[in-house]
Formats: sequence, C-alpha cells, structure tokens
Amino acid sequence: MIKVKDLKRCYGTGDTAVRALKGVSFEINKGEFVAIMGASGSGKTTLLRILALLDDATGGEYTIRGLKVSSLPEAERSYYRLTQVGYIFQDYALINEMSAAENVYLLSLMEGKSKKESYRTALEALEKVGLKGKHDRVPDELSGGEKQRVAIARAIAKKPDILFADEPCANLDTANSKQVLDVFKDLNEKYGQTIVMVTHEPWHIEYVDRVITFKDGSLLSDEKKVKEPGSVKD
Amino acid sequence: MINDIRVGALIAYCSVKRGNKKTLIFIVFVLSLIFMNLVFLPSMIGGLLGLFTGFMQDYPYGDIVIEPTGDNTYINNADNVLKKVRAVEGVRAATKRLDVGASINHKQKVVGVTITGMLPTEEYEISRYPYIISEGDFLSDLSRDEIIIGAMIAGAGFGSEIYDNLGEVRPGAFVDVTYSNGVKRTYKVKGIMEGTFEVVDLNALVHYKEIEDVYGLEGKEATSVVVRVKEQGTEAQIQDKIREAGVNEQIFTWADKSESLIRQAMQSMGAIDTMSKIVSLIVGAALVLIIIYINVLNRKKEIGILKAVGITPRSIVLSYAFLSTFYVSLGISAGLVLYLSLMLYFQANPVTFYETMEVRPVIDPVLLVQSVVTMLTLSVVAGILPAWSVSRESILKAIWGR
Ligand SMILES: Nc1ncnc2c1ncn2[C@@H]1O[C@H](COP(=O)(O)OP(=O)(O)OP(=O)(O)O)[C@@H](O)[C@H]1O
Ligand SMILES: [Mg+2]
Repeated sequence: MIKVKDLKRCYGTGDTAVRALKGVSFEINKGEFVAIMGASGSGKTTLLRILALLDDATGGEYTIRGLKVSSLPEAERSYYRLTQVGYIFQDYALINEMSAAENVYLLSLMEGKSKKESYRTALEALEKVGLKGKHDRVPDELSGGEKQRVAIARAIAKKPDILFADEPCANLDTANSKQVLDVFKDLNEKYGQTIVMVTHEPWHIEYVDRVITFKDGSLLSDEKKVKEPGSVKD
Repeated sequence: MINDIRVGALIAYCSVKRGNKKTLIFIVFVLSLIFMNLVFLPSMIGGLLGLFTGFMQDYPYGDIVIEPTGDNTYINNADNVLKKVRAVEGVRAATKRLDVGASINHKQKVVGVTITGMLPTEEYEISRYPYIISEGDFLSDLSRDEIIIGAMIAGAGFGSEIYDNLGEVRPGAFVDVTYSNGVKRTYKVKGIMEGTFEVVDLNALVHYKEIEDVYGLEGKEATSVVVRVKEQGTEAQIQDKIREAGVNEQIFTWADKSESLIRQAMQSMGAIDTMSKIVSLIVGAALVLIIIYINVLNRKKEIGILKAVGITPRSIVLSYAFLSTFYVSLGISAGLVLYLSLMLYFQANPVTFYETMEVRPVIDPVLLVQSVVTMLTLSVVAGILPAWSVSRESILKAIWGR
C-alpha cells in the first residue's frame, strides 16, 4: 500500500539545516495498523506530513498504491488529501469558527455530497468518537480531549484509504484514549482500514500489528507483533 | 466549481456568524466612512456648480444666448434676430442687451464696471435682475438718467471689503460714468441690486437707449440676445430650431456656457473634485485591502488547515470574496444611510459661501451608482488578492509559520 524508499527531509539550508529524515525505507501493507514510535524530534511528524502530502520530501521517493502521489499536480494532491487520506494533527487543527459538526461536514460538502447526507455522515462520525449531543459546540466550548475527538471524527468520516494519526491520544486520559484506540481498532478490523499512528505510550502497542521505531531521523527497528491470543479482543 | 461555491459560502457564513462582532462593526463603520468620503464632497461641489450655473441662467445668459460671430462687437440687426427667435416654438421670451465697459466715479472714488443696457420691462420675463433690488427701485421704460448699481461696488453689500467700491452709495445719489468711448454721463442711482454673486454685484444697469445714445447706435445692435424657453431641458432642440430659423450668429445653451465656464473659471473647482475622487478611491482601496489583508493574516493558520484537509484553494479564495463583498455591502448600506442623513441635514442647513451664497449638496444618482460599483469591485479584488496569495503558500508555512 505504502512504499517508502530512502526518504529524506532536510529543513533549512547550510549550517542551520536540520536533517529530520535521513533516508528511511519501509513498506506498509493494506489493512495494517502501524505504530510509529521514537524520541521527541526523531522525525515522526515529519514522515507523517510527507506521506499525507502536507509537505514534500527533499530526497528519496514513495508511492501509495503504486502511485507517485508527490508528483501529482496541486489540484490532484488536494483531491487526494480530501478523499484518500485522513490526517489527525498533533494539535487538533480545527476551524475555530465552525461547530464540531461543521468541521466534519465541510469535507463531505467539498466532496460533493448533498447537505443532508453530509450532515448525517458528520453526526455519525461524531457519535462514533463519543461526542453525541456536542455537535453544535465550537472548539472553544470543548475540552482538549473533545477537540481531539472532533479532529478524529473529521478524519474518519470520509472513510479514507489510509488514516494518519499524529499522537491522537496525547491530550486524552486513559479512558478516552482507550475509546479512541477502540475506534481505530474497529475501523481496522471491520473495514480493513490502514492506520499509521504516532505514539509515545508503550501500552498503545497492544492495539497495533506492527511497531516502527525512529531514532534521529533513521529507522531503529521495525517489529511485526505476534498477536498473543486473548490479549486484544477480536 | 459548485462545490467550491458551497464550501466557500459555508466558510464565509461561519466566520461572520461566529466571528468577532465588534470587529465586524468596526470594519463596516470604516467602510461606510470610505464610501461617504467618496460621495460627499462631489455632492457639495455639485451643489456649488449647480448654484453657479443657476446664476448663469438667471443673469447673463438665460437659457440660450446669442452672441456676435467672429470679431464683430455687435449682433447686426438684433431686432430681426429677436423676431426670428420669438417665432420659434418653445421660446417663452427673448430680449436684447448691450454690454459695455465703463468707469463709475463718486466723490473721488472710481471703479471699473461692465454696464449692461437693457429693456427694463422685458427683463421681468428674462432675468432675476428686477427681483434683486435691495434698495430703491428697478429701472422703468422711462428711466433715462438713472442707473442701478451692484451692491459690491456700491459699497453696501458683502464683498465691498474685497473689491474697489464707491463707498456707501445710496439710491438718490449722483454718479459720473465715463464710457469706454470717452463719453461722460451723470446718473442718479435708482436702486442697488444684490444678487450675492460677483458677476451681478460688480455690474451696473442702465436703459438700452442710454447705451445706444452714447455709442451712436441705430436701434438694431446688441451684444447679446438672451432667450428663455418654456420648458427646461428643451434648450438644445430650440438651439437647433433657432439656427434653422436663419439666425447666423453664435448660439449657446446655458449648458454650453457653463461647461466652458467650468472649464475656465471653475477649473480649479473641477480639479479639486477629480482629485478628491481619486484620493478617496486610493485611500478607500488601500483601506479595504488592509482590512481584508489583516483579516486574512489572522486566519492564515485556518487557511493552512483548510488546505491540509483537502479544501480547494478556490473555495478558500471564494470564501474571502464572499466575506469582503458582505463587509462592503454592509459598509455601503451604512454609508448610504449616513450620506442621505447628511444630505437631509444640508438641505435644511445649507453651507454658506461668501456669507450669502447658500450651497445645498445635490445627490447625483450616477455618482452613487459609480461609487457603489467601484467599491464593490475594489472589495472583491482586495478580498481575493490576499487570500489568493496566502492560499498559495505551503501548508506547513501557513499552519506552523515556517
Ligand atoms: N518546519 C520545520 N523547520 C525546521 N525544523 C523542523 C521543522 N519541523 C520540524 N523540525 C525539526 O525536525 C526534527 C523532527 O521533527 P518532528 O516534528 O518530525 O519530530 P517528532 O518526532 O514528531 O517529535 P515529537 O515527538 O516531539 O512530536 C526536529 O529536530 C525538529 O526540530
Ligand atoms: Mg511530532
């Protein structure tokens, strides 16, 4: 599904240049639920942004479903972001002047769905992340965890091919984290949703199939988990 | 495209609905002032010009004025011209006049004037001269050794501080007049006229026959034939008809005259008018641009997020076009209310120039439409430009600033 080859990203030039990704290669298969771990500053966010077409690599290449998406024209990149990938930002990135429902609804509207259907999809997605009844609130009226869940709803409402999540549980307590991870697990198992999730929490590992660890912009380890029977509910 | 419009409209709607209301009010207020600035001064100047051309009609030129061709001093056979003119349909009245240069002398004081020789009874139908006598009486058909003097030269009215005057000449006083051909006459002042307008108040009037006598004319010459029409607005048609009736002198409508006057005497006023319009437009454009630009900068992050989740740049730009059109429409509406209230106020309380000239602003619908269209066009451009430039920035830069 995703093939990454010798991917590099260097911020800035000259002496102050930061080599955030120093040439990483790996593949992610369809339907995998992958955790990306590593110390702060090891390049996790950088990688995710590039794969979601929010940023461009400075070296190497990658394909998604065999397509070199990075060389698409801007209009198609935009359409790809809209329809193929869901991205959950480390800092929510909601539109403050829009209610929870509108934040989600906007994307279906952009896709060309009818108002009614867009609204229904948005409510469904919000319900899935446990925000039933809070769809009319604007981000300022929601807690950090709730905002994060709106962002998650926005990303999953369109049922994207791949879901990228940058520390989706960073602002959630354990109970809420579990709820979110359950949603992910559910999507992954029921719909074969491919998920790439950045996380710091070791206990999240029990939800995923595979853990890729970064260190200083390079791949440190890549472990496929052997599922222990009974450790995660089927 | 239809999706872009729907999404753009939703973004604009949400940002108005949930945006800061104080900011909205402030923006609308500033825009209304910009609009006012665009239309107010031209209205005042329009009023002043209207007043000025009104004077031109009421005193020297009537609705149509016939003047000698080429280098001729006089219209030859003015009576024949008058006969032809009076026969033209739509002409209400016509008369002949003789304008000459002279100096008036009273107790060692001398002023130069234009003296108009006129037929007093005919003037009642032609001009406002008979109606602006502030002291004494107007000329009559029998007035031969009598003169009417403008208030400014008489030293009575306003403006006597600015211009040379005879120093408090009253009706009944005697003045000596020396005509341009050297002939001297003594006249009794019959009245003082006050038209609150230099062209009138710096002049003097005598009977037509006086000028004829002094210059040895034979009852057929005139320096102008002044015509009034039955219906305002028909001047141009009647001008043609007079030509067709065989009048070979120069024929002007009051509009021709005031046009050349505006070009000449009022040139500075016209220049101020145009300059004020251009300056208002530039200031207005800059302000609209700044307001929208600040607005866009404040939402740079939002624009980045919208792009990141796959909203097309076109929808984003459209949302700003909608937003700025909305702001400016509100601004124009508020500006119109403000403008019309001010117009009402100045209709009731005209601005006074030269102490006596009351200027009421005129509402020019063409100017209003022009200004509305200009403001709207400007706003759309001013709204789109900054949004367009930000929406082209990289997502990283827009959201995280680097
Ligand atoms: N826009 C940028 N300009 C310059 N340097 C950057 C930029 N974004 C990230 N970096 C640098 O690149 C390196 C990797 O950053 P990245 O955000 O990918 O780390 P991360 O693994 O996501 O860290 P964390 O766990 O703290 O979120 C860091 O050293 C960071 O300072
Ligand atoms: Mg990060």
